[in-house]
Amino acid sequence: MSVEVARGRFAIFRDQYAELMRSAFLVDLQYRASIAIWLIWGITEPIISLGIWWSIAATGAVEGYTREAFARYFFGVALVNQATLSWDAWNIDRWIREGEMNYRLTRPIAPIHEAVADNIAYKGPTAAIILTAWIIAAAFWPAVRVPFEPGRWTLALIAIVLAAAIRFLNGYATGLLAFWTTRATALVELQFGISLFLSGRIAPLSLLPPQVVEVAQYLWFPYVVSFPVEILTGDVATFEQYARGFAGQLVWLAIWMSLYLIVWKRGRRHYGAVGG
Amino acid sequence: MPNAIVATELSKTYDVKVRDPGIKGALGALVHPRYRQVRAVDNVSFEIERGEAVAFLGPNGAGKTTTLKMLTGLLFPSSGRAHAAGFDPWTGGNAFRQRIAFVLGNKQQLLWDLPPEETFRLNRAIYGVPNAEYVKRRAELVELLGLGNLIDKPARQLSLGERMKCELAAALLHRPEVLFLDEPTLGLDLEAQQTIRSFLGEYRTRHGATILLTSHYMADVTALTSRVLIINRGRLLYNGELSELVARIAPIKRIELVLSVPVPRSVLEAYGTVAHYAPPRATLEVPREFATAASTRLLSELDVADLSIQDPPIEEVIRIAFGEGDAASIQEVPEESSEEASALVRTDARRAPQ
Repeated sequence: MSVEVARGRFAIFRDQYAELMRSAFLVDLQYRASIAIWLIWGITEPIISLGIWWSIAATGAVEGYTREAFARYFFGVALVNQATLSWDAWNIDRWIREGEMNYRLTRPIAPIHEAVADNIAYKGPTAAIILTAWIIAAAFWPAVRVPFEPGRWTLALIAIVLAAAIRFLNGYATGLLAFWTTRATALVELQFGISLFLSGRIAPLSLLPPQVVEVAQYLWFPYVVSFPVEILTGDVATFEQYARGFAGQLVWLAIWMSLYLIVWKRGRRHYGAVGG
Repeated sequence: MPNAIVATELSKTYDVKVRDPGIKGALGALVHPRYRQVRAVDNVSFEIERGEAVAFLGPNGAGKTTTLKMLTGLLFPSSGRAHAAGFDPWTGGNAFRQRIAFVLGNKQQLLWDLPPEETFRLNRAIYGVPNAEYVKRRAELVELLGLGNLIDKPARQLSLGERMKCELAAALLHRPEVLFLDEPTLGLDLEAQQTIRSFLGEYRTRHGATILLTSHYMADVTALTSRVLIINRGRLLYNGELSELVARIAPIKRIELVLSVPVPRSVLEAYGTVAHYAPPRATLEVPREFATAASTRLLSELDVADLSIQDPPIEEVIRIAFGEGDAASIQEVPEESSEEASALVRTDARRAPQ
């Protein structure tokens, strides 16, 4: 492929993404009330967790976590969770079951790009709202302030992007099981339940029983919420912690990307193209 | 002229889970799942020339949509080969998808909550249509389909007919060479059907596009196509001119009469079979070869105010072809065996996932 051809293709690809994101954003605007409700629902979980740990820590720090540390941690969870959550399995399940996948498969762009654009269009603005709320809260409540360290924030941003990619591919690949089964979304819900504990959404991982932490280490869950949050709060600080976290993220990204490619390729061959 | 679509011994077999009724059946299926193989498309071969418009006819579940889905690359065939727009549909990738359009009358690709204009914009980018070209093509489609006041209304507020017109515009912005249309006029009122028919005819003439269309409306078939493919129970039963099919399967003509002086039914029976008798009107059915002679006799022997000779309605011809007529009389596809012929007289069409 010549350089010009490659450039031309890239320009078309960029244009495709810009329009896919634009239309996804316009659709989101139509559903702004629903989005506001989902946003509130999304931050309710860390707020409740914070409330519980705030009470528990009334008499002193829990495993090194003071009330203030819990507050910072769960503000971080609210932001990271919003930026990385994944609902794609439900969409794909509908596309496949109701025949909406058909026209998507006859377009010269893989359906996954529409889902990626949809994620960016939704998560960008909604995560920005949570970040703004955090900044405003920090102005009045010193407990939720994190140290001004642009280098750390940049690394946190990279970790959030990688976490979003892992959760996205995890949800998308699992959703593609709808090519074979009507229970794909149930599998996602099961993972969602497990992730409440193993990703650090209910409590910082260090507060969980050691056996649970041991199991979590071998799964992707700690890398999609806990790791980026702990970069933000300063709990990840040493080179070794960073290296282990990013390595874990890259390994799981590669694993879920491979699983996506395998499931997609096989699923396409198995597809019954239902509906119309 | 090169072929735009070629299907060679195309077959598609589905494994369908078989389950006995009731709780016992449901539990049994969990322990010992059983599958039955359903051949939705069975050794179908045909060719369509570039610029040709062909109708694909058959009852529900006959295998039309499954064949279309294989030709568009949506479904992988169990066996056989195909080519469309110069590509193998399953390996042609985006270059193939750039050259075709697949419109499903009962599914929409318009963004439901946004005006059709937004879907047009999106498709412009997805198909990489240059901006200047997009402006030109959009203007042409808006004019031909009369979309002027529709494209800025949210798609969900459009009527079915309006939506279908916008669907077609969205699907044709990249100016595909080959159009696969599955029931494009399904459920539309007569005016919308007519608009879509004229539009498709005009698009084909202007751009030399090839059309393979399924429809239950014979007006679509007669207005747009000259050749028909008839499929039933997955097998291709007829591939040829529509007029030839009519002549083969219904070797009669209808003589529509308006009499100045009504005569008893028994008098008319001397000229042919009386299909309809409501004085002063009557319809006679006579063998094709005697239609002219019978008309001459009628005009000279009776007081006739008006007389016309017509083919039987195409709906009736197709209905006969699907299952109620003499199967052997429409044998056209050379490799068909007597088994396929017998498929014609069975009406319990297999329902396969489509």
